[in-house]
Amino acid sequence: MDYEAAQLENQHVHSVYESTAPYFNEVQSKAWPKVRQFLLEQKPGSLIVDIGCGTGKYLSVNTETYNLGCDYCEPLVEIGRNNNLEVMMCDNLNLPFRDRCFDTVISIGVIHHFSTKQRRIRAIKEMARILLPGGQIMLYVWAMEQKSRRFEKQDVFVPWNKALLPRRTSDTSQCESRQNSALNAKQHNTTLKSMNEAETINLHNLRQTLESKQAHHSGNCIAAESCCIKFSNEDTRLYSAIGRSIRSWFFSRSLDESSLRRQIDKMKSLSPMSGWVNSTVSVQPSRHCSLDLGHQRIILKEHTFDDDDVFIKNSSHEKQQWFLTLDPSNTENGRHCELAQDGTKQASFRAESKHCSCICSNESNMRNQSTVLHRTSTTESSDSVLDETVAASDQEADTLDYNAYLRYYHVFREGELRSLLESDVPELHVISCCFDHGNWCVIAEKK
Amino acid sequence: MKLLTHNMLRSHVTGVTRGFPLIIRADEVKVNSVDFNREFVSRMIPKLEWEALVETAESLGHGSGLPRELLSGYENDEEFLKKVHHVLLEVEIIEGALKCPESGTEFPITRGIPNMLINEEES
Repeated sequence: MDYEAAQLENQHVHSVYESTAPYFNEVQSKAWPKVRQFLLEQKPGSLIVDIGCGTGKYLSVNTETYNLGCDYCEPLVEIGRNNNLEVMMCDNLNLPFRDRCFDTVISIGVIHHFSTKQRRIRAIKEMARILLPGGQIMLYVWAMEQKSRRFEKQDVFVPWNKALLPRRTSDTSQCESRQNSALNAKQHNTTLKSMNEAETINLHNLRQTLESKQAHHSGNCIAAESCCIKFSNEDTRLYSAIGRSIRSWFFSRSLDESSLRRQIDKMKSLSPMSGWVNSTVSVQPSRHCSLDLGHQRIILKEHTFDDDDVFIKNSSHEKQQWFLTLDPSNTENGRHCELAQDGTKQASFRAESKHCSCICSNESNMRNQSTVLHRTSTTESSDSVLDETVAASDQEADTLDYNAYLRYYHVFREGELRSLLESDVPELHVISCCFDHGNWCVIAEKK
Repeated sequence: MKLLTHNMLRSHVTGVTRGFPLIIRADEVKVNSVDFNREFVSRMIPKLEWEALVETAESLGHGSGLPRELLSGYENDEEFLKKVHHVLLEVEIIEGALKCPESGTEFPITRGIPNMLINEEES
């Protein structure tokens, strides 16, 4: 089981970061204030280690301390090294440090990438081991309760989308190749493409990802816990285009090769989607996009299919939100006006939630959805590095993205991280717990 | 990799009991100039495995005349603190390897980055 979990993380965490690392170079996103503050509060001369440092954005916050960064991902660590930071490669599950040698440990956005509870505990225990008694650890993990995302289950795959990140200004050839891509896509009648830069997913790539995952996991479950695939803003379009059949497979609790083949065959046969691809690919992307594309409103229609208790519990609350956003009076921030002014769209969304069959030919519905997504972009999202608001290009050429990768997350419910520490890591004493930037943050002290 | 980092490292190979200190094979060593911060260095010293630091620095030819045993009252010895500063922060291993003293497992250091990942097939 541990082997399967490791394979899953290898494919859906390490490989994705390896492939996407070049884009993090320019995403030297600002340090979160709370983490920054925590680091600045550490005494001068403290030894601080950042486990899962990525490109090392927290390693230069406090210049009075010694800051060491570790990450599994070589290309990310190299970016840090090129910025003159002290970094190394290691595995959170087996840290190459002496016991009790660091004053402070930070773990920002790491533990949620471990796919079993045992591995999450092991990772935290390792960090506790290297802490000096009285030393503190700060942990950040993705929260189930995010303003800008709704999760189907706690164990999800989230597509990485390079279009969400700022463009490399130095990369002039990228523009040209994207233009070509756009042209090719227009002529391509068999592959699903989406039209908005921030909302794209390449079905072909996705299929490859899934196929290769299957190749790695010829058994039944790919992880000890139930997994599903969660598409952020893309899901609407994807699901609308290919209908219930693929959805039921994505959300199935165990994946096996034969069912994968069946579903892929079904997807291949779904040609009507090409109609809207041709017509919608020219839709102008919004100037500023972020992951907060309002999909929590769109995705609600999925909940009716989902028997997961998470959504049974939350569904009434979310339905309220859904209808709230559809309320014409709720236009104070100007974000939902387009959606609100057309009552027929509500009807179409509702209809969709009732009828689970394939609705791929509903071209106007697709357009409407893209409008909604446009209108709900650009605000308060900063839940992760991917959420940094980006200045997307106006060019249509940017509308396609051939690199959709799926990252695995275990999304934490309120109180989950705290009780995990209290029940399984007795050497740590929880000092504080709060919600910040779409994450649960726990500060704990080594006893 | 700075020698301060090295002082925190130990071998994490399965079955190894102490695994400290890792033996440095240095193919390329660079000496950088880092601003001296007296308070930083004197606060750092109690956290070190002192003997291992001196041994390692000597093995690289950067012993700087540091004593094998830490003498009390070093907080006020500026000359001593500067030597420690040099060894801890200015000497950097750019290329080479770290070797586990018990299992002999080697971990490469490339472009200043130690790779402490254990190849699962080997372990």
